[in-house]
Amino acid sequence: MATSSEEVLLVVKRVRQKKQDGALYLMAERVAWAPEGKDRFSVSHLYADIRCQKISPDGKSKIQLQLVLHTGETTNFHFTSESSAVKDRDAAKDLLQQLLPKFKKKANKELEEKNRMLQEDPLLFQLYKDLVVSQVISAEEFWANRVSMNSVDHSLTNSKQEVGISAAFLADVRPQTDGCNGLRYNLTSDIIESIFRTYPAVKQKYGENVPHNLTEKEFWTRFFQSHYFHRDRISTGSQDLFAECGKLDEQGLKSMVGQGVRNPMVDLTSLEDKSLDEGYGISSGPSTSSHSKTLKENSNAAIIKRFNHHSAMVLATGLCRQDAQNEQNGETSSTDGNSKDSDFFQPSMKKVKLKESIEYTDLEQENGRKAVTLNLKKSDRYSHGPTLVQCQQYATSQDIINSVNCIRHEMANYTPRLTQVLSSSTASTAIAALSPGGVLMQGGTQQAINQMVPNDVQCELKHLYVAAGELLRHFWSCFPVNTPFLEEKVVKMRSNLERFQVTKLCPFQEKMQQQYLSTNLTGHLEEMLQIAYNKFHTWQTRRMLRKT
Amino acid sequence: SADDELSLLVIVVDVNPIWWGQQAQKEPEFTLSKCMDAVMVMSNTHLVMTRSNKLAIIASHCQESHFLYPSKHWKAGDFAGDESSCGSRDGKYELLTVGNDLITEEIKNLMERTEVRGHQTETLLAGSLAKALCYIHRVTKELEAGQEMKSRILVIKAAGDSALQYMNFMNVIFAAQKQSILIDACVLDADSGLLQQACDITGGLYLKVPQKIALAQYLLWVFLPDTDQRSQLVLPPPVHVDYRAACFCHRNLIEIGYVCSVCLSIFCNFSPICTTCETAFKIALPPAMKAKKKKLKPTT
Repeated sequence: MATSSEEVLLVVKRVRQKKQDGALYLMAERVAWAPEGKDRFSVSHLYADIRCQKISPDGKSKIQLQLVLHTGETTNFHFTSESSAVKDRDAAKDLLQQLLPKFKKKANKELEEKNRMLQEDPLLFQLYKDLVVSQVISAEEFWANRVSMNSVDHSLTNSKQEVGISAAFLADVRPQTDGCNGLRYNLTSDIIESIFRTYPAVKQKYGENVPHNLTEKEFWTRFFQSHYFHRDRISTGSQDLFAECGKLDEQGLKSMVGQGVRNPMVDLTSLEDKSLDEGYGISSGPSTSSHSKTLKENSNAAIIKRFNHHSAMVLATGLCRQDAQNEQNGETSSTDGNSKDSDFFQPSMKKVKLKESIEYTDLEQENGRKAVTLNLKKSDRYSHGPTLVQCQQYATSQDIINSVNCIRHEMANYTPRLTQVLSSSTASTAIAALSPGGVLMQGGTQQAINQMVPNDVQCELKHLYVAAGELLRHFWSCFPVNTPFLEEKVVKMRSNLERFQVTKLCPFQEKMQQQYLSTNLTGHLEEMLQIAYNKFHTWQTRRMLRKT
Repeated sequence: SADDELSLLVIVVDVNPIWWGQQAQKEPEFTLSKCMDAVMVMSNTHLVMTRSNKLAIIASHCQESHFLYPSKHWKAGDFAGDESSCGSRDGKYELLTVGNDLITEEIKNLMERTEVRGHQTETLLAGSLAKALCYIHRVTKELEAGQEMKSRILVIKAAGDSALQYMNFMNVIFAAQKQSILIDACVLDADSGLLQQACDITGGLYLKVPQKIALAQYLLWVFLPDTDQRSQLVLPPPVHVDYRAACFCHRNLIEIGYVCSVCLSIFCNFSPICTTCETAFKIALPPAMKAKKKKLKPTT
């Protein structure tokens, strides 16, 4: 039953679960259901365990709410109240919708991470099954090492690159005629996001008006209808929502132009001729203030201004993300590649930049680094290398003279007698020695172990090795034992190793004996475990001695 | 395909005159003549197996390494006009006759020019192997476009290993491995660690013959088939090779040692200065445990 301290947020009567009538209780940390007339909850789920909720579609006769847990289990609740089933269900849904996100983030991430790791790595999964499921070590110990290893990874993958905005995103919203004199614009969430990021003014308008005054659909219809969106922006002064936006854009553009170009490398305006006085050169008047422009020029100028403004805004979204978050008005952030720090473009930096671009290191002259020469004192050691001292056959000079004379004499009279190279008896003894079972063939006809042992036994042996390796790794990493934590751990690991031997290794050995496999497959494993036990024993005796 | 692949066999015969002279006095049934006969049988068989097979024989002496076959003096058609050695006297394939005659002549000349030198008593095996590799390389370069060749070297070893040739030997072995050239070894007397290593590294066969007089049989049975055929046959199993290195200071075989990172010399004990290249080293000692002060427990 609910503990007295639990706050019940919502009670919904007439809720069926598994064909039983009852009531649904939504509490501060869990959702529970009790059958009619009973006090105890038969179904109870913590919000942290619920992954998501689903509702049956509107048209269906049965009004249901389904809870999907992280483990994959689903629980269905059927709202049967005649009058207010939908309302009840919606109320429950809304409350859950608010509560679930709070609990979601805490447990979700870790579990998801662990599940993901187990799924990705079958070896890890097998190890988990061998060690944790069979109760050799606890799950916390298993994850203790690994979660720390992977959380670094995770943070690295989080810092993915942001996708930029295509400059043609507005143009990509190609309208389609819908038959009778109308246009149909397809807006995806990507496009909407691009519009918001590029034109913060529009975002502001959206925030102000939706959902209070206009629905989303209406807002976007007005957006596309307004002259703000159109090619020729004629400020009609009408009650257009976006007229203000147009003015803001103009202001923004003016301020951008006013900021000028800080990077002297790309500043084109500084390339103009500056005159001293009349008659001493061309006077560079301001190019923007010209009165006698034709109408066409004016409209061209307007389009060009809009293009420039649009491009500048698109660039701004990519450059200063932090600034856009800090400042309300996106236009005040530096939008055209200017660094915020004007000191950055002092003459000294300019010189460095120029130098960088004209010098190539591989075209420079080589300055060879002087290497240290090898200074060998006893180089004769290399002539014989790392070999044993061979006892040389010593021949006296008389022996040598005799041998040479003998051989010279022999070879002077040499004629090949190829028909008398081999007698049949010697040949047959040689063949006997070379046949299987002969003198020279000992040790060759042994079958490879992997041909004699069945595959499933090999698999199991591999799993045993992996599991034993993991436990032994934990065990040996405790040495040298410096802290009390390590002491505890080493004792625990010793008992874990014993348990492993009893629960896994011994049954395997028995199984092998039953199958009459004579090869000793587990000898090495036992040896490793024995060495670990010996080490533990010596450590323990030394500890006892120190204490006494 | 296998038909287009040429097979080159280079036989390196150890003709150390001192060893063979002593052998002739110990065991007169098996002398260098018998050995050369067996080699000739082997080489004839190899040439007859496939028309495109190639052959080279190098005699490894203690004063030089000499090619017995093919000879520089031989040009095809040389003996055609000569009556005394014209053609084959016993109906043998011409090439074999000519080849055998050449080998005989060359080995006789070689042994004739043997001089007595007390300080040169060891077989120049590393040099012969190097010559064999160079010959193989030359023949490979002279192949026509599209032809492939598989080569192997058969070493017939009589005298013992020469310790001073260790470095050169190892270089030859690794060069052969790089070129996929097999090195087989047929050892008559004492086991040779260097040749065992060579066979292991290059994938060849090592055999120590128990009966020298049956040498021809061993050569034909074990060393005649080439690599592809060997995988189909049941041949003597590979020998276990002891790859342990010996330390430079005592020449003892060790399993774990210290290696100087500058000159790569191996030592069994740590010393702060490498004796070969005089580099100074420091090794981190395990942190010394400070003696803990024992707190006197108050007696209750």
